[in-house]
Formats: sequence, C-alpha cells, structure tokens
Amino acid sequence: MKILSDERTKSVFEKLAKFIGGNIKLLIDRPDGKYCFREHKDRVYYMSQAILDLALSCNKEQLICAGTCFGKFTKTNKFRLHITALNYLAPYAQYKIWLKPSAEQQFLYGHHVLKSGMGRITENTPKNQGVVIFSMNDMPLGFGTSAKATADCKHADPIAIVCFNQGDIGEYIRNEDTLI
Amino acid sequence: MDILEDILQKEAKKSEKYKTTDVEKNVELELDLGNLLALDTNDLNLQELKSHKEKYLLNLARDNTQLLLNKLWDLPSERREDIVVAKLPAGTLRLPREKPCPKPKPLTKWQEYALEKGIKKKKKTNAVWDDIVQKWIPRFGYKKAELERQKDWVLEVPGNADPMEDQFAKKAEKKKEKVSKNEFQRLRNIAKAKKIKVPKEGLPSVANPSSDLLNTAAKVARVSTASLGKFQPKLPKEKTLKENVIAPKRVKRDHSKISSIDEKSSHLKIIDSILGKKPKLDIEKAVNRQVFQEQHERSEEKKTQKSKGGKKRRKTSIPSKARKGGKISKPRVGKVNTKKGKGGVGGGRKRR
Amino acid sequence: MGRKAKFGEEKQKKGPGRKAKKQGDPSFPKHLKENVEKKLKSSRQRKRARIATQKLEAKALLKEMKKAAIIEEKKIKSAGKENEGIIKKQVPRKKAPVPVLKEPEDSEGEGTTEYSDSDEELQQSKAKKLTKTAKKSQASKKNLFDEDQSEEDDDNDEYEDNDLDIPDDDSESEELGDEEIEDEEGDEGSDMGEEEDEVEGDEGSDVGEEEDEDSNAEDSGDEEEDGDSDGAQDDDYGDSDDSDMLPIEKANKKLKKKMEKEKADAAAEELEMNVTTHDVFQFPEGEEVEKMEGLQDVQQRMKDVIMVLSDFKRLREPNRSRKEYLELLLKDLCLYYSYNEFLMEKLMEIFPLSELMEFLEASEVTRPVTLRANSLKTRRRDLAQALISRGVNLDPIGKWTKVGLVVFNSQVPLGATPEYLAGHYILQGASSLLPVMALAPQENERILDMCSAPGGKASHIAAIMKNTGVLFANDANKDRIKAVVGNFHRLGIVNSVITNVDGRKYSTIMKGFDRILLDAPCTGTGVLSKDPSVKTNKDQADIDKCVNLQRELILSAIDCLSSADKSKSGGYLVYSTCSILPEENECVVDFALKHRDVRLVPTGLDFGVDGFANFRQHRLHPSLKLSKRFYPHTQNMDGFFVAKLQKLSNKIPQSRKERRIEEAMENPEGSDKEDSEESQEDEKPVPKKSGNKRKMEEITKVIKGDKSQKKPKLDSDQQLPKGQKRHVQNVAKNRRNLFKMVKNRRNLFKVAKNRRNLFKILKNRKNLFRVAKNRKNLFKVAKNRRKL
Repeated sequence: MKILSDERTKSVFEKLAKFIGGNIKLLIDRPDGKYCFREHKDRVYYMSQAILDLALSCNKEQLICAGTCFGKFTKTNKFRLHITALNYLAPYAQYKIWLKPSAEQQFLYGHHVLKSGMGRITENTPKNQGVVIFSMNDMPLGFGTSAKATADCKHADPIAIVCFNQGDIGEYIRNEDTLI
Repeated sequence: MDILEDILQKEAKKSEKYKTTDVEKNVELELDLGNLLALDTNDLNLQELKSHKEKYLLNLARDNTQLLLNKLWDLPSERREDIVVAKLPAGTLRLPREKPCPKPKPLTKWQEYALEKGIKKKKKTNAVWDDIVQKWIPRFGYKKAELERQKDWVLEVPGNADPMEDQFAKKAEKKKEKVSKNEFQRLRNIAKAKKIKVPKEGLPSVANPSSDLLNTAAKVARVSTASLGKFQPKLPKEKTLKENVIAPKRVKRDHSKISSIDEKSSHLKIIDSILGKKPKLDIEKAVNRQVFQEQHERSEEKKTQKSKGGKKRRKTSIPSKARKGGKISKPRVGKVNTKKGKGGVGGGRKRR
Repeated sequence: MGRKAKFGEEKQKKGPGRKAKKQGDPSFPKHLKENVEKKLKSSRQRKRARIATQKLEAKALLKEMKKAAIIEEKKIKSAGKENEGIIKKQVPRKKAPVPVLKEPEDSEGEGTTEYSDSDEELQQSKAKKLTKTAKKSQASKKNLFDEDQSEEDDDNDEYEDNDLDIPDDDSESEELGDEEIEDEEGDEGSDMGEEEDEVEGDEGSDVGEEEDEDSNAEDSGDEEEDGDSDGAQDDDYGDSDDSDMLPIEKANKKLKKKMEKEKADAAAEELEMNVTTHDVFQFPEGEEVEKMEGLQDVQQRMKDVIMVLSDFKRLREPNRSRKEYLELLLKDLCLYYSYNEFLMEKLMEIFPLSELMEFLEASEVTRPVTLRANSLKTRRRDLAQALISRGVNLDPIGKWTKVGLVVFNSQVPLGATPEYLAGHYILQGASSLLPVMALAPQENERILDMCSAPGGKASHIAAIMKNTGVLFANDANKDRIKAVVGNFHRLGIVNSVITNVDGRKYSTIMKGFDRILLDAPCTGTGVLSKDPSVKTNKDQADIDKCVNLQRELILSAIDCLSSADKSKSGGYLVYSTCSILPEENECVVDFALKHRDVRLVPTGLDFGVDGFANFRQHRLHPSLKLSKRFYPHTQNMDGFFVAKLQKLSNKIPQSRKERRIEEAMENPEGSDKEDSEESQEDEKPVPKKSGNKRKMEEITKVIKGDKSQKKPKLDSDQQLPKGQKRHVQNVAKNRRNLFKMVKNRRNLFKVAKNRRNLFKILKNRKNLFRVAKNRKNLFKVAKNRRKL
C-alpha cells in the first residue's frame, strides 16, 4: 500500500472527473469517516482509513486487495478504470444512458451502445464525455464514453454507435483473472 | 556403278579418319551428366601402359569421352538459332569444397523488424529537387551539407520557444545526436551479431570511455571480490568508498503516517486544479450547445404558438444574434468549464 | 396406514421451502430400468390386475362385516371404544396392495421352510380373514408363477418397513399390543392362554392362524406396526365373529387339511422353481459373491442382507456371523454405488443401516441450485420478482433464512444474468449459509474468514455486517483468491481486506478478531453428489492429512481470536466442514478444546442433527453435542458440520505429558543423568525457577566435567534468541545474494579485471582520452524520437 504520487493522483482524478465531475470531492471529503486512495501493485484502491490501518500489517505479497479497486496504472503510466469502480461511479454519475432491456445483453457482452438500444440519455451530454450506463430499472451496467452528443443522437442512425463501451459488469465473468 | 563405289570408298576413307562412336567396356562407366563427369572403374591394361603410356591414356580418354558424349546425345535436345541445345540434369556427385559455405549475415535490428512487419526497402532517387534553391540536391554527401549551410542562413524561431535560444546550435546538436545515435545502433548491431554482451553498467567496451564511466567501473571492480572488497588493499591516492556500489537500492515504503488532513487537502487541491482547468477551444461543443438551444427555443416557440393560436409571432433576437456572432462567441462558450456548463443556460447568459 | 407412512423419515416441513426438500428419483443405470419394464409387461401384470379387482370386492365385503361388527360391539360392550378408534385408523391401510389370493398355498409352504418371514404370514392371515367367505374356491386356482411375483413384492414391503423403524415406535406398539391382549382376555380366556404360551415359545404350530400371527407380530421388533394393525383387526374379528363365523372357521380348517396334502408336491415344485429367487436370503458362497450378473441382482442382495441384519436373530443362517453379513453388504454397496471400501466402511460406522441407504441414495442426487440474495444491493422479494420475470422458477429455501432462494428450473443461465453481474445475488449452496448464521456477525466488528475462496460465506458475512467494520478474507490459494476479489467487488463489499496467507501462520500477521469463520478444507465427503470422485479416491492418508491441517488451522484461528474477557461481543469461532466424517469434525473440535481455553456454545441453528459426543473408540467432550450436523438425506442440503466455539482466555492449557515431550525434544542430546534431573525439575513450572537455583545448576554442571558442560553450550548455540537468529539468517542470505551479484559482475566486467591498471588509466585519463560526450544524449534522442 503506497500513497499515490501527485502525478498519479492527478491522473486518477482526471479520469474520475470525466464520469462524476465535481462529485469526486464527495469521495474524499466524506462525513462518515476518513477515506483515502492507495496504490498497491499498480492498482488503485479506495478504502476507509480504518481498513487501511489494518491492511498495512500485511506485507506486499500477502495483501491482495483492500477496499474497492478503482483501476490500474498501465505500463505506460496511464490510469485505466476498472468495472469494480462502478459502485462509486454510478451514484455520482453526471451523465447517464439508460438501455432498453433488449440491448442489455449485448452491452454486457462488451459491445458498444447503439442508437437502437438506447432508452434514455441525460440531456446535454456532450460528445466524448464519460457516461455511466444503466438498465431501464436503474441498475448500473457499466460505463463508457459518449460517441455522440444528445442533440446528435436524435438524428442518428439506429445502428450508429452512441456510446463506446469502456467497462461493463460482464467483465466480472469475461476477465475475472485480470481484475486483480 | 563406279561412281557408287567411288563414293563408298570415299566414305570408308572418311570413316577411317574418324574412329567409331561405339565403344566397348567391360564395366559400364559411371556417368554424371550434370557435372559432365565420367568415372572409369575398369582395370588399366598394365602392359600397354608400360609400353606406350601416352598413346594408351589418350585412347582411353577418348573412348570414355565418347561414351559421355553418346549419353549427352541421348538427352532431349532442341534447336535454338541453328544450335542444338540440351539441358543437363542436376549433378549427382557432390564436389568437395575448400571452405565451408559462408553463413548469412546476421540481420540488424531494423532488418529483423522490417522482415517481421513486411517492410520492403524502396529505391530512392539519388537526388531530390529542392524548391528553395531550385536545384537537384543529392540526398547525402558533402554537396548536400554545403547546400544545407547555404539554405539555412536564417532560421525561424518557433512560436513558443525562448527567443534567446541559439537555433543553429540547437540544430547542430540535433544533428550530432542523430549521428551518434546511428553510430550507437551500428555498434549495437555488431555486438549483437558477434554475441558480445554489452554491460548496462560499469565499463562498456567503448573506445573512449568517459571519466564517469571509468569511475564507476573502478568502484565496482574494487568490491568485486568474495569479501566484497573488504580485504582489498588501498591503492595510492584512492578515495574511500562511501556507499555500497553494488547493493540494490532500497525503496522505502512510504505508508508512513502522513496525516490524513494533509492528504485530503492536497487531494482537494489537485481536484480543484483539474476541475478549474480551462478546456481547449471546443468548437464542436459550442456548436452542439448552440444547435440544442435553437431547437429548444424553436420547440418552445411552437408550443406557445399552438397555445396562443393566432397571436402575433414574437421575434426573439437571441438566435439571430447567435447566428451572427457565430465564431467569435463560440470559443467563449467552450471555455466554460464542464461543471458550470451543465445547462445550456449558463452559456447563453454569458453570450448575452 | 397414515401412521406407518412417515415414521422414520424427517417430516417435510410445511410452508415455503417445502419443495426444496423434495428429491427427485435416484437415477439408475439404463439397463436396470429396462429390466423392470420388461417384467411389468409380462402376463403377470394382467393377473395382478385381476387380483386387484378381487381385492376390491373383498374389501367391500369386509366393510360390511366391519359395520356389523361395530354395531354389535356397541351393543355388547362399553369398554370397546379404544378398539373402534383403532379400526378407524386401520381402514385406509387396507388399500395397500396385498397379495390376497395366494395365501392358502403360501402359508403351507412357509410352514415347511425354516425361514419364514412374519410379514408375509401376516399379510396372508389378513387376506385370509378378508376372504374367508369369498375365496375358498379360488384358493386352488393359484399357480406358482403368481407366487414368485407376490413374494418379491413382499420383500420390498418388508424393506420399507425396516427402514422406517424407530425405537420410539417400538414402545408405542408394544403398549398397543398389550391393550389388545387385555381386550382379548376379557373376551375369550381360552384363546388367551394359548397366545401367551406362544409369546414365550416363539412359534406355535397347532394353533389357529390368527393367534399365530399376532404372536409373531409382537415378537419381531420391526414389524410392530403391521402387527399391531393386524392384531387390532383380528381382535375386532375375534370380538364379532366368535359366534357368527364358526362355520367358516370350520371350513377353513378343512381347507387347511387339503393344503397340507398338497403341501408336499407344492414344496417340491417350489424347490425347483425358486432356485434363483429365494424367498429368504441365503448367504452366497465364495464364488457367488464374485459372479453377480447385474446391478439389479446386487441391489436385491443388498436389500436382502439389510433385511436379515435388521432382524438378525431370526433371519440369520445359523453358521454365519453378523460380521460376514456386514462384509457382504459392504462389498455390494461398494459395487452398487461405486465407492471404495474404505469410505464405505467409514460411512457404515457413522450411519445405522437404514439411514445409510438413505444417505447413499441422497448422495446420488444432485442438490437443487440455490442462491443468496445480496442484502447490500437488493431485497429478496425484489430479486425473486426480477428473476421470475426472466423465466426462473424459484422459491425461498426455508423459514430459517431470509436471503436464500432455491431454483427449480431456469430458462437462462443463472451465472450470467444482469442481476447476477450487478451483484444482486450469488450462487451458493444452502449449507454454506449455515456457518455464517452460526457465526452471527455483528456490525462494526473485525471478522476473519480464514479459508474464504470463492467468497460466498465471506460475502454473506459482509452483507450481514452491512459493510461496516472490517472483514478479512483469506485463502492460501493464490488462484482461488481471484474469485474472492471478483465476487466481493461484484457484490459491492467495501469493508474487506483480502489476503493470501497460509492460515496456519495468520496469527503472525494479525490477532484480536472478534469472530472467525474457519471453513476448513476437507475431504468433501458431504458433497459426494457434487464431486463423485471423492467416493473412490480417498483413503486414510488423505483423511489424516486433512485432519492435521484442520487441527493446525483451528489452533491458529483460536490464536487469532480475541478472548471473551477482552472483546465485548466477540471471541467466537465457527468451525465448519463439508465433510461428515467425525475425524474431521468432532475430533478436531475436541482437539481444540483440549489445547486451548475454549468452550463450545450452541450454534443457534434449530435444525440438523446433534454432533457426536462419542464415536466408536473416541470418547469426546460431552459438549460436542452442541455442534450440528447436516445430511443430504434429511435436509436436502450438502453434508455439513458446524460447531461454534468461544474463546475464554489466552491461556494455553498444556498437559504434563506434552510438556515433557517438548522438553525432551529441546534437549535431545542431553545425557541420561541430566534427563533424570530435569524430569524432576519438570514438575515445577519453568518461570518459577529462581536465579539462584539456576546458578547452582550451572555450577554443578561445571563441576561435573567438561563433557557435560560442552553439550549444553552447543545447545545454547543452536537455540539463539529469535531476533539474533533471524539476523544471522538475513546476513547469510545477503551474503549469498552478494556473491551471486559479484559473480555476475565479474562476468560483465572483464575489462575491470586489473584494478591497478584501471586506476592508472583513471589517473591519466586527461591525457589519454577524449570524452565520448554523446552517450547520454543518445537516450534522450531516442525518447524524442518515440514522442515524435
């Protein structure tokens, strides 16, 4: 468990800000205790101070994971969000896309969201904005980047991609091994 | 009939002149047509050999050659420009060789890469047309260097660069680096071909090692004993070593208790800097916002029209203004940060 | 009868979860089924149908008679009320298929053969009464062919009866029997006297058949129910018929005589016809054991043997011991269910025979798929609705859990629905809910799951804790721990620390847990239906290995626990395995009880079977009854064991014997003399030794001589203080590493061989060398290039 360097903290927050914007502050400044980000084997974990204190007693090899894994740093030092961060992204998401039930399965297989599968979208979603994807009954399914702005969506082709898949809960099955 | 006999006699004489093409041998020759080789395994007639050696050998050679030629005539032949041509089969006898076959040259790193990627070398012209000097300039060589010097009598200072920087020196440096890099790669390729291990630290096999290099090499050499240099006598004027040269550097685990308040505040600072960042000119975004707003207003208008029926159409000045303002106003709109720009209204207000 | 039907079984609970307890039919090999069908299609079936209709007629007749009897009784008797009740109860039993027509011949056959089974006789007698009037003529019609079939049926019936017997019933039935006898006494004194004689003399010959049967029923412990009912009926008849039916009886006696005549030839015939199917089991000879034709034969023999064992005194062959029967049964069971003999022996030790069969059958059937709703993300009702809308047919598991659901069938793969991926539920066996319920985690506690993979139980704990406190999930297997990570994140658990440590060494990392769940790795004998390979590939060595590991784990777990005097709510350890072998369960817990200051507490699970306090040669702690066992055949969940321990203090009780052994281990080189001295001193606890005394000892040792002095010194060298030892080890390790490095260096820097020369070069470098400046720059260029 290491403290993130400033550089890395910045890249983590930049990525998070794409999805939840100013709500990141809510993650750091929580009323229910101190919470912090830590790095362990190039992966970034988010946990409460109490858990961290206890986790520190394990050495590097023994500790596998503590709290919630947000993502990892790639070999080229870029931060990549994991689907495991969805628990925190979903409630704070600024821009959302709701999927029709028929398109859920497609998305969970890792496909992008097509216009035909989109049920609703937040007004004013700009292009290339991080969006969290929900099913129609408000179950978070994943996240991605919008490929079209809301306005463009209205006129888009039914088979045009509306949102690029960056992570979906199907990954829990598809690549369980790479999650840690 | 005389004529006939005459002819026959002439023919006979002629044939006497030439020996027969038929040759009898006890053991068949081993013929290798590909190499035009005939091997005679018959015993030599020793008596003949002793009595008239030359003549005997000559005859023998002729006979064997005849056999070889007979075989050659059996090969399928064709006529090309009045010449009879036959194709020899592949030779069966392996001719010995003085030296081993040369091995293929080891590929350089680039060649390997090119091979893997299927990159093929393109033939380039020797000279390139230069628009500025209106001349054909060779790609390399002294002529090119000279022309370059002439051409670059003045250099542009790039937009964000330090005006006091010497661009010429910079260029020269670049060039030098390029050359040395090339040299380095060449050497590396040679080392690779000869399977020499180039050490990453210490004293690499450089022609002219630097002082730094030599210093570290000396330090390493000093501790490179079983006792880690403990019992190594000190050389005159040698300095004592402070740190252990070869021990791996220990990375400190920094989960030391940084107070969480500090951490939080520093994090918040970072977040503020991220959120407060001005995005680049995003024309598309501004256009999107504009389009959306126009649509919105139009729909509003329609609604009011429907509800108010034949009332007088109010002409809103905003859309026309926006249309006019177009490019000037857009950048400003784009600058509004994401958080503030949640609704289109904020942007609109600013424009007004 | 209604009473008879469900005696031995665990009654199915009413309400939700009832379906879950139902088991599908065990699957048998195909060829067996075919055989059965073939038989059914034979002409016998038709005959049976005919018999059935006749039976119905007889029943109608009987009813009339009964009515008459009851009326009469009411008139005559005031005290006959009890009997009436019994009659009413018995009416439905008549519906059971009874080979009505065969009895006259049969009875005689049995009269001759030694090993007659009482059940048959009973049925015959019953039938006789039913048909006393109706079927004298039909009696002769019967052929032997028919008999065979009916006898087989009888055997089956008996088998079931055997299964169902339970000691409680015994007493009950005996009471009933007594009552009946009293009644009879009141009515007819003469008969009664005879009957009592029979009771003592086991089997009478000359008496009327009714009485004969009654006596049998009372004799044999297994068939009490049948016996009772029949007896009761008989009584009714006796009451009512005494005067009316005498002529019929006479006729009956006539018939009997006839039968006796026929008996001789009939018996001869039977001997010929029944070569293959003995109506009573005969012990196979050496070769016969080996050459069994099909599994069906094996099954038949198993049933026979079990029947014999259930009433061993009566049905045994005189020269065969119980052991022989058991061995035969063991072999057959192994063959039929494809177990290895070792495991089957173990199972036979655990279960009584009837239960064993149930267990084996249940182990062949796969358990229903169950899932646990994740209370962190959803409620069970919502989840059930969502899944039902996806075409999944499910129900709550039972009243005992609020989060379990059992799936009957599903049109979609349950492991890939969006709800699953969103972490609304996890697929988990019903049995794995139990240890967590026993653990009863509270909010804001520090809890450890020592062997957590794949994380089902651990996530359940976290869900109960509502993501508060800290949950440590540990597993020694690095590959399996990935599943834990995946599941935890999927289920939205944020209060967890996942570690990969050998559980035996966990106390070196952290102590002071409020609760610990130890779901120890085991042989998996409770989950045979999941992993049938266990049936064949486990032996004593495997079990010993497991037991050793489990012992170490449980001690380590207790060490990690905070004791009850320090922790407010905690200090609890739940030990569970999916094995049913007592070696891995009760014995391990018993071991922990001996070696640590812990006590067993009730698990808080109100169903399941109590643990064994005694098992074979083991005499375990009596409180082990507080642990719970779960079997596939009783609860329709995997075989499971749960025990809950509470840690009282950090003390480690040590028996004197062990201490001595340990000390002996510490000083293996000490001379005999020293040993004797030390053993004397051993009596006193070590820390009490005062400084003076120790000095004295040392002095005496010095005086004794060099040899004795040297050896302890060596010892002390070996036993360095822990800190120093580690230091020495580290130093040694570093050395080794350094040597390695040095070696590498040497290879690399051949140039640097001659240090002196090198130094000279260094000195003269200004004159000698121009510096090659650009080397460092090269890398920069390379970097720039890449960027470009």
